[in-house]
Amino acid sequence: MSDDAELLERIRAGATDDFAEIVRRHQARVFAILHRYERDAHKVEDLAQETFVKAWRALGQFDGRAPFEHWLSRIAARVALDHLRKEKRRQNEISLPELGDDALDWLRRDDEKSELDARSAAELLDLAMRELSPADRVVITMQELEGRSVKEIAAAIGASGVAVRVRAMRARAKLRQALEKIVTEKL
Amino acid sequence: MNDRKLKQLFASARQETAPAPPEDFAADVLRAIRREPPAAAPETISIFDQLNLWFPRLALASSAVIVLCLALDYGLTAAGVPSLSDGVAQLSAQWLLTPTGL
Repeated sequence: MSDDAELLERIRAGATDDFAEIVRRHQARVFAILHRYERDAHKVEDLAQETFVKAWRALGQFDGRAPFEHWLSRIAARVALDHLRKEKRRQNEISLPELGDDALDWLRRDDEKSELDARSAAELLDLAMRELSPADRVVITMQELEGRSVKEIAAAIGASGVAVRVRAMRARAKLRQALEKIVTEKL
Repeated sequence: MNDRKLKQLFASARQETAPAPPEDFAADVLRAIRREPPAAAPETISIFDQLNLWFPRLALASSAVIVLCLALDYGLTAAGVPSLSDGVAQLSAQWLLTPTGL
């Protein structure tokens, strides 16, 4: 099985069908990235397709200095950012998801030892992150949920490292406020 | 919401598994790619495009030459050397506008 570089070389030479192999190799990662920003599985699929089509169009710009996976992740983050901006514009038309009792109970409790299951935690974060600007959400998601470095985030959103650090700090504070608001509103 | 609790929330959310891609996802992507319009042929550059491209540089170069000439003229006048305009005026007064001249 050839590596990405070899496969990409063949695709550039005209073997379009080989792009399916690239998709199969990286689809799980792209779905995982996009799922952090969109919980609807059908929308995630559409966004993943958009990511791969954009990667296909921009294949000539991939210089191979960084792994293909990193380059593709950056495209996925930009697709997610555009999606969040569109969603933000029609925020009034979208109904907020209902939060389960588990998440609310966990949020109200002061006990730090209590644990919240992964799905409830993700739902709770998704709801609170709707209060953030799209760029703030991308920064905090990449940093806290994907474990990306400041440099990687800066490259993905087209900002400086300092701007990313400032944005992350501000986003964390806003997120805390949003979570507190959820507790007081649902009481 | 303290920092520890927020970290705990992130840690739990990190464990969530993403939806699996459908089996025919790669085929769908290929179909979408094939629907893509072919890349447009490179456009020929018209004379107006070239002028648009060059005009800012030409304007800047012309301005630089004008400023340089003015500075030179001012410098020469300050140093007591007759400037180019004085020379031309003198020449026309002595030669061109005399009865023997034109």
